[in-house]
Amino acid sequence: MSELTTAHFLFLSAALFIIGMVGVLTRRNVLIIFMCVELMLNAVNVTFIGFAWEQNALTGQIFALFVIAVAAAEAVIGLGIVMALSRRLDTVDIDEVRQLRE
Amino acid sequence: MAIEVLIFYLLAGVAIAAAAGVVLARNPVHSAVSLVLSFINVAAIYVVLRAEFLAVAQIIVYTGAIIVLVLFVLMLVQQQDLPEFHGGRPLRRAVGFLLGLALLAEVAAAILTRSLRGAPGSWTPEAVAAVGGNIQAIGRELYSAYMLPIQATALLLLAATIGALFLARPELIEERLAVARRLFTISLAHPRGVDTLQPVAELPAPQDGQLKPAGGDRSLVMARTAEEFTEQPAWGESRR
Repeated sequence: MSELTTAHFLFLSAALFIIGMVGVLTRRNVLIIFMCVELMLNAVNVTFIGFAWEQNALTGQIFALFVIAVAAAEAVIGLGIVMALSRRLDTVDIDEVRQLRE
Repeated sequence: MAIEVLIFYLLAGVAIAAAAGVVLARNPVHSAVSLVLSFINVAAIYVVLRAEFLAVAQIIVYTGAIIVLVLFVLMLVQQQDLPEFHGGRPLRRAVGFLLGLALLAEVAAAILTRSLRGAPGSWTPEAVAAVGGNIQAIGRELYSAYMLPIQATALLLLAATIGALFLARPELIEERLAVARRLFTISLAHPRGVDTLQPVAELPAPQDGQLKPAGGDRSLVMARTAEEFTEQPAWGESRR
């Protein structure tokens, strides 16, 4: 392939998403799991923007913008939960956490 | 091979290597730095894809705001050396890796056999240049066709702010005591030389009735009275 095609971006996106997924499945530190979720959201953005580039449309870019906004909200809430978790249970190991209530 | 493709391979290779670093690094701070590297490379790929505004938004929001937030939380929470890189849970790691490989194979098959292509849109590079660039084009589209979603996004961010304030609120004394009673051993001491014990105040029991077994790794909290102890955060004075 001597020219950039959508498949390039789809493979990049798939690789990033799967690396994030393996991280979520295998790591135990809740902060690293959180970073892997961000990685997966970012991989989806690559797909959206790649398709927007292929189709000469802006819809994909706007959708990626909304994904970024939702990711920011998710980061705030997720990190708030991590803080509350570490204050109450004194751990960041998700294997130690079995319930969200006290 | 076109120079564009070479640049893409360079950026994509660094992005994927950095993403692998996020998963493989033992120190969470190294993971965060790898994540920054991955995000910046992906932002550069957005520029290749003619999405200049999103590249800038990616750097500002992700590497600017979210990573700073993650690093702050990393510094604030107690870091433990989790045993995950000392041979713990080999089954889970194998299953995660195999699931990843399976999904990669499925997605690769889907990409390589893709035949459906939608109708091309009207925002050709010339049309985008005619309205003044990527930012102007996104602004026109966003504030005409996507007016309601952008308002909903504002509502979402407001809700997230309120939720964060709720999660970060100071805890009630009863909650602190319940946590301390579950995690630590509380010893009600008395002033030196005074042999008469002060009446032991009743500590509220944790609601779920689960207490960590005494001894072992429980740390000891010394307090003269239950009320005095609660003036300090339960975990502040008992850090190992």
